[in-house]
Amino acid sequence: MIKYIVKRLLQLIPVIIVTSFLIYWAMNLTSGDPALLIAGDKATPEMLEQIREEMGLNDPFLVRYGRYMLGMIQGDMGESYITGKDVFQTFMETLPNTLMLGGAAVLIAVIIALPLGIYTAIHQSTWKDNVGMVFALFGTAMPNFWLGLMLILLFSLKLGWFPSGGKAGFSSVVLPAVTVGYGLAALIMRTTRSSMLDVIRQDYMTTARAKGCSERQVIFRHGLKNALIPIITAIGMQISMIMTGSVLAETVFSWPGIGRLVNDSIARRDNEMVTGAIIMCSICMCLINLVVDLVYAFFDPRIKAQYAKKG
Amino acid sequence: MADLVLDIKDLVVHYETEDADVHAVNGISFQLGKKTTLGLVGETGAGKTTTALSILNLVPNPPGKIKSGSIVLDGVDVLKLSQEELEKVRGNDVAMIFQDPMTALNPVMTVGEQIAESVELHEKVSKQEAMERAKEMLRLVGIAENRAYDYPHQFSGGMKQRVVIAIALACNPKLLIADEPTTALDVTIQAQVLELMKNLIREYDMSMILITHDLGVVAEICDDVAVVYAGRIVEIGTADDIFNHTHHPYTEGLFDSLPNLKERGEELQPIKGLMPDPSNLPPGCSFAPRCPYATDACSKKVPELRPVGGTSSSKHMVACDAYDDPKFCLRRNKDGK
Ligand SMILES: Nc1ncnc2c1ncn2[C@@H]1O[C@H](COP(=O)(O)OP(=O)(O)O)[C@@H](O)[C@H]1O
Ligand SMILES: [Mg+2]
Repeated sequence: MIKYIVKRLLQLIPVIIVTSFLIYWAMNLTSGDPALLIAGDKATPEMLEQIREEMGLNDPFLVRYGRYMLGMIQGDMGESYITGKDVFQTFMETLPNTLMLGGAAVLIAVIIALPLGIYTAIHQSTWKDNVGMVFALFGTAMPNFWLGLMLILLFSLKLGWFPSGGKAGFSSVVLPAVTVGYGLAALIMRTTRSSMLDVIRQDYMTTARAKGCSERQVIFRHGLKNALIPIITAIGMQISMIMTGSVLAETVFSWPGIGRLVNDSIARRDNEMVTGAIIMCSICMCLINLVVDLVYAFFDPRIKAQYAKKG
Repeated sequence: MADLVLDIKDLVVHYETEDADVHAVNGISFQLGKKTTLGLVGETGAGKTTTALSILNLVPNPPGKIKSGSIVLDGVDVLKLSQEELEKVRGNDVAMIFQDPMTALNPVMTVGEQIAESVELHEKVSKQEAMERAKEMLRLVGIAENRAYDYPHQFSGGMKQRVVIAIALACNPKLLIADEPTTALDVTIQAQVLELMKNLIREYDMSMILITHDLGVVAEICDDVAVVYAGRIVEIGTADDIFNHTHHPYTEGLFDSLPNLKERGEELQPIKGLMPDPSNLPPGCSFAPRCPYATDACSKKVPELRPVGGTSSSKHMVACDAYDDPKFCLRRNKDGK
């Protein structure tokens, strides 16, 4: 198992090199001249040329990329020309906020979605199932920012229970987490429902009943663990998406997360920041995928056996 | 009747699906004595599994519905028990072995846990004690006890079926229901598993209902045999009655469709036609449309089980109105004597 983890980590290296190359290359194509940004409008061509020479902007692309990668290994992804801030450091400072919002959102989603998914599966095609499915449909169909605005209207402006934005203590995370979490809950619930429906039909569920298990034991002890793999996949995908995907919620709630960082940086044409943040995001997603794969092994001995074989 | 383990009367089970009302079991009655093994024989779709599931009150509902009848198990009507009482009966008094060992075991639990679970559910024992029992059971079915910590995917089909048997026998049930326990296995493995079951049944003084469509298996282990067709018992009796004094045309058809090893080359005579669709049963005898002896009267009324006289045992009954004519005799019996 440990061998497997090490192997997967080593496999990350080429993946990171390729993705970062692609990102760096694409950003290089689309970005303007950094020298212009630094020197301002009034700069003479000589000044610009001097700046370019000093910053190594005239070097061939591959040389610049190599230099960038060397820096990255040491945790140096350059500085923003616009704000002057260190890119890597800014990302690392923002990451906990995103993780906090994401974690809270996923937690809320799972708390709602798992029981509801199981419940609707057990009561398939009854009115209880239909009510649950409508709830899920709303979650998918309702725009995130709209739900966010409604929540702000009700819970901060009208009732004053939670702050309407910013990050200040526990209460400030509630509304954005509910906003993001509800959208996630919809997908996790539907995955749970369909996965449970698959499992409910399995012979081993009848075996469990024939042994004398109560219906609760049948569902939770025998059913749920078998239904978990697709659910974990869904949750893992959602976590990856939260990394960059909650821009709207972050904007509505002025939440200082990665999504907003990238969004603001794009608006400012802060290419260094955008490049760095996106590369870091892709690394994070790779790591999340790895964690999800390891969680599979924890729940499914067949997958674990496969990992052990692959060594 | 103190010697009865099971007494089923007029069991009727329907599956009410959206497109059809499937009459899976249409008034099955039979009794099972202590330490006896009854073979339930019939082709696919005859309602054998449904009958077996009814005994545990486990017919999937919806769509399944036990419409009427009584299933008295050791003096108690299973169909009148509460959910909790049922849970105490299942696995403890009656255990069931399912057809496909590949899917009958929970893939994410060790086999030891799965056997131990049975014990924990029905007896006041600690986790360790239950696990010890699980290992004992494994040894009993011929599996090394250190394999208790392995998962089902690490076992072959025959081994899995042994595990399923271990689960079923863990609480020493009075009645074991085996639903085609060897159908999914290779022929050589089949014989081993059957042999194992036969020995365990004898050793633990259990009664067994063995569901199968394999008459060879029936001859091997069953004391009594019930032949089921379209949700009804058409002939029932001791194995000797059924094999040597066959009375129902359907039973005769079953024997004729068996390959005869002694007279190779002789052509098989499969029963013509198909079993009627249980959501649309013909009136009268449901075998009439395929029966070589059928007369017009056969499709008028459903034949009742009637005792067979003569050389047969007192248990032997047949549901065929052709015997209204005292001279009626199956072809098979004519040539024989
Ligand atoms: N869950 C179900 N829903 C609808 N029909 C069913 C269901 N289970 C069994 N049946 C029908 O009931 C009839 C009897 O099935 P079964 O008891 O499994 O027969 P056997 O075990 O003798 O092959 C068949 O026609 C089958 O299609
Ligand atoms: Mg069956």
